[in-house]
Amino acid sequence: MAAADNTSAALRRRDLCSRGIRLAGKMRSDVVDLLDTYVERQGLDASASVAAVEGVPVAAVERWDEQTGTQRLLENLAAYRTFRALLAQMLEEQQEQLGEADTTLGQALAAVLLQVSAFTYHLEELLRLESRGPPSEEGAEPPPAPHLSLFERKLRGLGVLRELAQWAVRSTRDLRQLAKPSPGSSSPASLAESP
Amino acid sequence: MFSGWNWVAHVLYLLWSICSLGVSGGLVQSCGHIIPESPVLTLGSSFTALCILNESCLDFGNIYANQIIWKTKNRVVPKEQYREINRTVSSVTFNDTSSLANPLTCNILADGQIEQNIYGITVTVGLPPEKPKNLSCIVCQVSKLAYPMTCTWNPGRPTFLDTHFRLKYRWPQENFPDCIPKDVNNSCMITDVQFFVNLEVWVEAENALGKAESDPLVLDPIEIVKPLSPHNLSVNSGILPTVLKLSWENRISVAVMKLKFNIRYRIVGDTNWMQVPPEDTASPRTSFSVQGLRPYTEYVFSIRCMKEDGVGYWSDWSEEKTGVTTEDKPSKGPPVWRSIVASHSPTFWTMHLMWKALDPFEANGVILQYEVTVRSKSSLSSLVEKYNVTTTNLTLKLPNGTYEVTVIAHNRVGASPPSVLLIPASNSKAPVKSVRTLPKDGKLWVGWTAPNSYVLKYVIEWCLVSNSSDCIIEWQNEPGNVQGTYLKGDIKPFKCYLITVYPLYADGQGSGQSVKAYLQQDRPSKGPTVQTKKVGKAEAVLTWNHLTVDEQNGFIRSYTIFYKTVDGNETAVTVDPSKTEYTLSSLTSDTLYTVRMMAYTDEGGRSGPDFTFTTQKFGKGEIEAIVVPVCLAFLLIVLLGVLFCFNKRDLIKKHIWPIVPDPSKSNIAQWSPQVPAKHNFSSKDQMYPEGSFTDVSVVEIEADDKKSFSEQDLKPFDLLKKEKSTSEGHSSGIGGSSCMSSPRQSVSDSDEGETTQNTSSTVQYSTVVLNGYRDQTPVQVFSRSESTQPLLDSEERSEDQAGGGDSTTQRQHYFKQNGGQDETNTDRPCFERTKQIIHANEGDLVGFAQLQISGQSSQLLGLGLEKNTQEAALPDVLQASTEEQTVRSESVEGNPVLVDEIPKSYLPQTVRQGGYMPQ
Repeated sequence: MAAADNTSAALRRRDLCSRGIRLAGKMRSDVVDLLDTYVERQGLDASASVAAVEGVPVAAVERWDEQTGTQRLLENLAAYRTFRALLAQMLEEQQEQLGEADTTLGQALAAVLLQVSAFTYHLEELLRLESRGPPSEEGAEPPPAPHLSLFERKLRGLGVLRELAQWAVRSTRDLRQLAKPSPGSSSPASLAESP
Repeated sequence: MFSGWNWVAHVLYLLWSICSLGVSGGLVQSCGHIIPESPVLTLGSSFTALCILNESCLDFGNIYANQIIWKTKNRVVPKEQYREINRTVSSVTFNDTSSLANPLTCNILADGQIEQNIYGITVTVGLPPEKPKNLSCIVCQVSKLAYPMTCTWNPGRPTFLDTHFRLKYRWPQENFPDCIPKDVNNSCMITDVQFFVNLEVWVEAENALGKAESDPLVLDPIEIVKPLSPHNLSVNSGILPTVLKLSWENRISVAVMKLKFNIRYRIVGDTNWMQVPPEDTASPRTSFSVQGLRPYTEYVFSIRCMKEDGVGYWSDWSEEKTGVTTEDKPSKGPPVWRSIVASHSPTFWTMHLMWKALDPFEANGVILQYEVTVRSKSSLSSLVEKYNVTTTNLTLKLPNGTYEVTVIAHNRVGASPPSVLLIPASNSKAPVKSVRTLPKDGKLWVGWTAPNSYVLKYVIEWCLVSNSSDCIIEWQNEPGNVQGTYLKGDIKPFKCYLITVYPLYADGQGSGQSVKAYLQQDRPSKGPTVQTKKVGKAEAVLTWNHLTVDEQNGFIRSYTIFYKTVDGNETAVTVDPSKTEYTLSSLTSDTLYTVRMMAYTDEGGRSGPDFTFTTQKFGKGEIEAIVVPVCLAFLLIVLLGVLFCFNKRDLIKKHIWPIVPDPSKSNIAQWSPQVPAKHNFSSKDQMYPEGSFTDVSVVEIEADDKKSFSEQDLKPFDLLKKEKSTSEGHSSGIGGSSCMSSPRQSVSDSDEGETTQNTSSTVQYSTVVLNGYRDQTPVQVFSRSESTQPLLDSEERSEDQAGGGDSTTQRQHYFKQNGGQDETNTDRPCFERTKQIIHANEGDLVGFAQLQISGQSSQLLGLGLEKNTQEAALPDVLQASTEEQTVRSESVEGNPVLVDEIPKSYLPQTVRQGGYMPQ
């Protein structure tokens, strides 16, 4: 019975990882497309560099290959919960700013937001399979939005999307790492096989 | 009467009370109401309604529950369904609401007579929603980023109520707004779905009678995607003539799904699609090279895609794009055949070579020319001729012999393999057997039995047989291992085709075996025109011409001849189709027949025009059989008649043509005892048969008179005869054979006066007729009787002879009789004159005989003269006077001169004493 549960859990984990990877891939693709749309609609320069935005989780991490699977899941979950809040905030601001006139950007933002939510769900499920359970969202609440000018909000949004694209790439790699055999192993040795 | 008024007043009061109650409580206040109010009921369920009367109505109108009447759509509900709960409440129960009609009203019978409505409700009957079934969803991509999901389900039975369906879906951690169908109840489209997350979908149906939910469907929308087909398909020629390269764009991101593809293609003009093996295109790509194509062929391509793992739906086929492969050298040589026509010279052939243009898939390009090589295989000649032609035929005039013809087709790329045809001097090899045809599937199949020898291939030659056009030969090759094929050409129905099969061997040809065939037969377009060749009494020979090939429309299986009389039944006779003539027998003679003819094919017959003829009344020879005997009988009768007449000619002559004594012939002087006997009759009986006397005048002569005729007395007759012979040369021959007049003109005509004067003894009876005919100048005609005048004679005799008074008296009497007789009776006077003469010459029997003969000399010969003279017997003489006529006719040929010698002259006659004294 326990073996059957283990097998089922393994299949479930494999399925979640697989679809998570593909979701992350689609999310990155959509975010890239959204970035183009966003830059265009917001009148920004695609080459504009944006400094680190406060409250936006950074995908880059040191000693990535030394992270355990649970740690990866937790960092990802925290990041995407933050992105979900940020994107919801951006969508609200976009609707306030452009109204119903620009549905394309709004729909694209909403689609990415949904994908972030879906990915968050994947991460939470994987954490459940880790017999750990997802942490409460209370600690993952994004900081209250500072009072920014319109241009600053546009730049901030650009920063959020760019970082989300980065996270999509990182998440893909994290899930691939998790999908490898001995998924239950959190030893650093297993992480060394990540691409 | 008074009670009636009270009743009316009571009713009016009751109505007023009800109305006043209704108005006093508000705008409309009824005396009661029904519970439940406008219920929604399940179809087929039971239903009970209560009608509750207001207490106020009880007080004013004396209305109670037992007076309530329930109605459904003005139809009274049976009392059995009522129940009076108390004095103000009545209930009605319906066991099955399906028969419940609206409205349901509660009525009251006021004072037992007038029905008044208290309240009414509308009952809605329906069904609760069924659980939606067969929920399925599909995500149809509509653009690169739009993936609406459409779910459909079976809403179940009609509910007859307003039922709301909702498509619900959610993630495990997130709910989404419901999808509400528009205008339909079995599908709904969710405009945007997110992939890679399981979505739980279900349908909720709800109406006034309940709510139902379908089983939930949990799925990842990525698994039910029908992607857009690839677009911007392009086809490019490859380096090889059998390859075309396809390129396209996918409209779904690889991040969403990886795709696999189907590529199909077909030759332009062909309807059958071919497909690239799916395993060759089972991975994501945007281009593919299709191989194994035909050179120089235009192809049409189309492509579709679906999720790589096969989960989901295939996209639609993309738009079609065409591409043409490059040329290659012809793959085979053109099929070649020949037609040999013997030319004027017996040692030369006119060889018509023909070959078929290669099919496009064989030509592999544009054929620029054909190279024809003719090699003589004869041992004596090594002729090799090459011809480059652009047409598909070549006519050569060659010496008789065996030839090998090679045809090579050239296109821009190269030459085809050669096609070789061996043309032997004669088709001496074994032919095929049992050539047969069979229409099948709208085509004409030709089959044959192969000869025993190995056959390289067969050539099937055919042409349309028609009167209006020549037999234009078409042909086709078939491999040697088949024994049947369909004719590859435009084979028309109802047309006759002559099909010939030739076997071709490695070292020669077999002679062709032919068969005629139709793809489809029909009735002949016209019937034969029949006509009679010969018509008899009971038979008629009919002839007709065969229908032309164009008119036959099929194989003529038989002819049928229909013939009938005007009012008779039609008779049919079936005739072999090879015949062109038929004899109808057992016909009725002299009858009008109508005949027509039908020609039959397998599909039916058609009749030709009617032809009428009439049989003959008599058969062959019948007329002859009748006419000939009749003619013979007629001839026999005529002959018999002639014979009879001949036998009875005397009698006939007596009645019709009596002999009139010719006075001129009564010249006794002509009679002479010296007249030699010119006729010698064998016997008296023969000369004078007894029966030949028809009319005899008996003259009694005294015996003494006989003595008075001495031989000397007869001598002067010779002289007279001679004189008459002389005078006869002067006779003109006027007149005829009349007994009354002589036709001759005597010498005395010119010397009439002299004769009259000089011959006192001769008296001529002459009449000069001077009357002209009408206005013509009268011609002097001298008519004269050649007879001597007995009266004068008697006068003379009265002078010369005395004692002859008796005779004279008798003679005068005779002439009186004669003159009184009708002239038509000419025979009798002749004989009577005989008597007269006898009276005049009483004693001279010989003279009597001569007189008699002379009296007939105008017609008859005095043949019996000498005989009579020799016999010198009166009975004999009398006999001779009649029989002589017969003898004359018999001897007239032999004694023509004698006729002329008969005295006919009126010359003066020498009369001697004792001789005849006629005048």
